[in-house]
Amino acid sequence: MIVVVAEQRGGALNRATWETIAAAQQLGGAAGAPVAVLVPGARAGAAANEVAAADVQEVITLEHAALEPYTPDGFTAALEAALEQLDARYVLMPHTYQTRDFAPKLAARMDRAIITDVTSIKSGGEPAFVRPMFQGKLTADVVPQGPAPHFVTFQIGAYRVDHAKKGASAARVRALTVDVDASTVREKPEAPFQQAKQAVDLSQAERIVSVGRGIKEQANIAVAEKLAQALGAEIAASRPICDAGWLPMERQVGSSGQTVAPKLYLALGISGAIQHLVGMKGSSTVVAINKDPDAPIFEIADYGIVGDLFEIVPAIIDAVKT
Amino acid sequence: MTTAAFWFLFLAGVAAFAAQTATRLRLVAAAPNTFSIDDLPFRLRRFLADVVLQARTIRERPAAGLMHAFVFWGFVAFAGYTSVEFLYGLGLVDLTRTSWFEAYRRLLVPFAAAVLAGIVYLLVRRAIVRPVALGPTVSLESVAIALFIATLMITFLLAFRLDEASAAGRANWWAHMLVILAFMALIPASKHFHLVLSPITVFLKSPELGNLPNLDFEKEQVGLETVKDLGSKMRLDAFTCVECGRCQVNCPAWGAGKELNPKTIILQTQHALLDGPGDAKLGAVYSEKVLWQCTTCGACENQCPVGIEHLPILIGSRRGLVSNGDAPGYLGAMYNNLERRSNIWGLGYDQRTKFVQAAGLETFDPAKHDVLVWLGCAGSFDADFQKSLRSLFAILRAKSVRFGVLAKERCNGDPAKRTGNEYMYQELANGNIEDLKAAGVKKIVTSCPHCVKTIGADYAKFGYRVEILHSSVFVEALLRASTAARGASDGGARDVVTYHDPCYLGRYGGTVDEPRALLARFGADVREPVRNRDNPYCCGAGGGLLFADKEEEPGSRISDVRFKQLQATGAGTVVTACPFCSIMLKGAQASAGADTQFVDLMTYVDGRLQKATA
Repeated sequence: MIVVVAEQRGGALNRATWETIAAAQQLGGAAGAPVAVLVPGARAGAAANEVAAADVQEVITLEHAALEPYTPDGFTAALEAALEQLDARYVLMPHTYQTRDFAPKLAARMDRAIITDVTSIKSGGEPAFVRPMFQGKLTADVVPQGPAPHFVTFQIGAYRVDHAKKGASAARVRALTVDVDASTVREKPEAPFQQAKQAVDLSQAERIVSVGRGIKEQANIAVAEKLAQALGAEIAASRPICDAGWLPMERQVGSSGQTVAPKLYLALGISGAIQHLVGMKGSSTVVAINKDPDAPIFEIADYGIVGDLFEIVPAIIDAVKT
Repeated sequence: MTTAAFWFLFLAGVAAFAAQTATRLRLVAAAPNTFSIDDLPFRLRRFLADVVLQARTIRERPAAGLMHAFVFWGFVAFAGYTSVEFLYGLGLVDLTRTSWFEAYRRLLVPFAAAVLAGIVYLLVRRAIVRPVALGPTVSLESVAIALFIATLMITFLLAFRLDEASAAGRANWWAHMLVILAFMALIPASKHFHLVLSPITVFLKSPELGNLPNLDFEKEQVGLETVKDLGSKMRLDAFTCVECGRCQVNCPAWGAGKELNPKTIILQTQHALLDGPGDAKLGAVYSEKVLWQCTTCGACENQCPVGIEHLPILIGSRRGLVSNGDAPGYLGAMYNNLERRSNIWGLGYDQRTKFVQAAGLETFDPAKHDVLVWLGCAGSFDADFQKSLRSLFAILRAKSVRFGVLAKERCNGDPAKRTGNEYMYQELANGNIEDLKAAGVKKIVTSCPHCVKTIGADYAKFGYRVEILHSSVFVEALLRASTAARGASDGGARDVVTYHDPCYLGRYGGTVDEPRALLARFGADVREPVRNRDNPYCCGAGGGLLFADKEEEPGSRISDVRFKQLQATGAGTVVTACPFCSIMLKGAQASAGADTQFVDLMTYVDGRLQKATA
């Protein structure tokens, strides 16, 4: 059996769990092993019902006083006890901060192998797990040795949520009880730290319309905003625009602003100075509109339009709307 | 009776001086020793210029500086006179009646007049004109000292008029001597201690601007964390400061309305040493925020007339902060880039390879090539600066210079070093040194002034020495030799340009004539901006501030201030010679919505050369 350890808090499932389910289904398909999802923590029921939609053999909830609030001692003890009852060959987890906290301890406690931050699985014979090494300069294919279960954690985003197969009907949900001495938990967690949130988090935006000096004057920002609205995109800007106060500083993209990686980055009148490029080079598709055919932005644009953005943008808005 | 009274007052004055001086000397002696007297000939030359001839005092403020020089030379001239009068007053030996003393006295009259004129000028300047550099309040102590000096001169001159034995004559003598004793008691705790210390401090100042010895990690050195860590030269500096404010008015951060004031840093050091606990954290003594506002342009240290070195304190404190993980967020991102990709941008080196191939560059081979061209982080990745490098390549090819590039480069480490991330700097530096040695490089040309300074001067601290020239120096020598260049002689209108000296080229490197010679060679009409040559106003990129956003940079952008200075020359074209100056100033130009043109020096030269040969 392949066990996926889901991550949830107060019944809200971490979406990365679905990525791990997708990985488990691939591994299970190759190894011919059924997949079970273990949902630990208080109010696991809600999250369990959600993952029951997946094409898995069963969903197992694990509720215990030692699991709430989260502590590495509590998780290690409860999961060790649970895994003793399950005949798992692999235990898969999303490589979240919480997993990073307890998974090495759990594997060490059980004296089993752990492979972390895996980006893909090479099947065929013994499955090999591919993980980056030396800051991503190399990748290694790692095959776990020793007795099962083998622990594997998956890099966030390595598998896609929408690749997790749904079942014809909801999978069976059962509860597992474990006997853990809650007094062995040494950590006493404080209330979670809330980092002051940046009002605009451009790093999560799927589409960004970004404005540069080519917009000419502050009143013209409205043109870009219209396009952003039509595309359902966030608006952003290069340094001179934010320095001039035409858009708030938190919308600045670049080495002295935010680093973004949207699916679509539409650069309007941005020349593409290096300190801007480094903030958006991770964008999947870059569309640049600029008057100057020599503008460096065209070096990295997937689609470049040389021309007057005040003619081109309204045309795009029309095209998007129809 | 009077001799006994004089003895008593004399000993009181000396004791007051000695006690206060001892407190300070003990603090200096207790510090980690950072004194050095390497390069003695340079130190002696500088001593002659800056102490004896008062060159640095006069250079920036000719009138006030000259008046100060009068007072200084007067003091020196009076040394013998004062000694003789003290020997007399103490009843030890009376030389006042000798004929040579009489001649010496008469010789001193013009000196006394000069001192009097000087001190009155300085008093008026300080108490009435009140330039901003001298601080917001009039220092009563300074006024008192000025009046003391005036009194000394007046009593000296009056002695010629008064009968020595008369009551008025005796009173005059006592007034003169009492003022000197009061002066001695006042000096050590005041900025007038510079009278005693500044000759020593100037002598001990490093010959190298911004001298930062490598940290030795084997000895678990982590930079300056608390007051205890401040080195002996830093402590001497703190007690020497004369509070003239040259550092302040030349500081680009202060000029752009930020909190950083280099003078305040030195005075805070003084207070922390005298009053504060020895384990006070430097981040609290100076404020962390303020420490991160320094661009490391070096203006403060370079303009200081009394030999103070600000950069070792500022960057040393940054080292202490970085060692404790207290760097601002924007630097964290940059450090990640340096660690993962060995360049400040965090870009993959395939992009450098692409440029190297597209530009048709060969991998350096000492058998085939005369010089190595070092691309740098900007040259490797910044499409804009790569235009300038292509110009450099074109010039080198036209002049049949055989050059190659390294197969691989890392950042030279400047942004890590100047922001106090010494560990990362040493990793990058050692890697580059290994590669440069392995490639058999003897001579390097680069268009990046930061690479010139770091590879040329800072790598020497690892025992690695290589000749590295900024492209302006190399190309100027090349064209001087070949005489191919023509300029205004072609009869065309002269280009009106202004030239922005990069701090790391003009101030650190002293390279100020070659760029101008190149521009002049092609007939450009160079309009000098304020703050030029070896005292330029920074573009705002140095010291890691290239990566700070406007909120992390309170006040105006330094780049905006500099851009306005360049604009004020009326020249439509700004010639730059540093990729980072270019990035900052172009940003400022875009923010201002101005239509000023920017051109890199090499592109300018290449363009004119092609025109000349066409």
